[in-house]
Amino acid sequence: MSEVVKACGVFFIYAVAGVFAQNAVFSRALGVSRLVKLVDDPAVDTFVFGGLLCLVQLFAAPMAYFANLKLRVFKHWAAFRPMVFVLCSMAAFLLVLFLTLGVFRDQNSKAKAIISVLPMATFNSAVMGTLLLSSIQSFSLLQAMSFALGSGVGYVLAVAVVTEGQRKLRSRAVPAAFKGLPITLLYIGILSLAIYGFIGHRPTI
Amino acid sequence: MKHEKAVWLSQNMDRVARRDRVFLNNPVVMQGMGLAPLVVAATSGRNALMLSLAVLIMLTPTRVAASLLTRVSFSRFRALSYCLCSSAFYIAAYFALRAVFGTEMLQLGIFLPVLVVEPLIIKRYERPRGEKVSVAFKKGMRITAGYVLVLMLIGCLRELLSQGTLMGSRIYSVDFPLLPMAALPAGGFILVGILCAVWRSAVNAYKKHVNMEAKRGV
Repeated sequence: MSEVVKACGVFFIYAVAGVFAQNAVFSRALGVSRLVKLVDDPAVDTFVFGGLLCLVQLFAAPMAYFANLKLRVFKHWAAFRPMVFVLCSMAAFLLVLFLTLGVFRDQNSKAKAIISVLPMATFNSAVMGTLLLSSIQSFSLLQAMSFALGSGVGYVLAVAVVTEGQRKLRSRAVPAAFKGLPITLLYIGILSLAIYGFIGHRPTI
Repeated sequence: MKHEKAVWLSQNMDRVARRDRVFLNNPVVMQGMGLAPLVVAATSGRNALMLSLAVLIMLTPTRVAASLLTRVSFSRFRALSYCLCSSAFYIAAYFALRAVFGTEMLQLGIFLPVLVVEPLIIKRYERPRGEKVSVAFKKGMRITAGYVLVLMLIGCLRELLSQGTLMGSRIYSVDFPLLPMAALPAGGFILVGILCAVWRSAVNAYKKHVNMEAKRGV
């Protein structure tokens, strides 16, 4: 019983760390290029994108963990690791694709809309960065999965915070030269500074 | 600026801007691409140089190889084609950087392998139409030039502000650096934001100047 409670505790702590203290966007700028596009793109539903990203990360994490476990003895593993992790992401992509097709079997248009976002949610630096961090920091399977889930939720949270901030950032008080990308970057920078103040140190890259 | 040139530029500004990936349509400043390595890893001139070399080895070859590969692969797997090509060229970049910089390349952490899925390198997969090899090569070279310019600029600026050095050589000697925050991701975001604002203003001023010159002779 105590083992189960301990495992739940570890899962919770790593997930919370992934959401807040080690937030992919604010502490390591992972996926920020996609984020600045997302907040200005009404065609892509932020929560659909975020949900897919979480699922892809959750499915890719155990595959990357076992791949790392088996292949890290190889002399030049660091050079080949991104390629193996891309293949893990692809396997997660296929799993989420079949899951979506299964769940939305009777809603063809909805399934198509979700699937069109799937490549963006799979092949981005937030997913790759999370897999690399779990591998470099030698996380256990449970830690890797909880960190992947927390990191995905943290990314969605960051997108929601920046999207909400856009309302204020479109104010007339913002100088013309700063409108758009520059003010969004300054806004993310200030939020990143707040996270830095909260954790008190620079996270390892 | 000569009047004829100003008239031609004024009439073809959109086309010129689309082609120019260095100043008028820089991938970082205008499109917000390649921000993660720029904001977190490019904290010094040397780091920026390492990232530049990696981008130089990966970007154009990936684009060219993927443009060939996507002709024979299913459209659904276009993204995978781009990522596999970039991860193959990452192997070359990894060994090249190890040979040139040795263990110093470890300073880039995960931001070197993350280049494999960086939108700057693979974003072309989102477009349904394929790309000719010659176009892929030219665009790849232009985007590389634009990105490397911003990378070096930001890397050197951050090193100067946070450590008072430039490529390791001391520029000013004070007891405390001008802006220690410049070495943090937060400082990176803020500096890149300010650079974008200044750059965009310069682009707008240039376009305005061209239009004024073109109208002057009418």
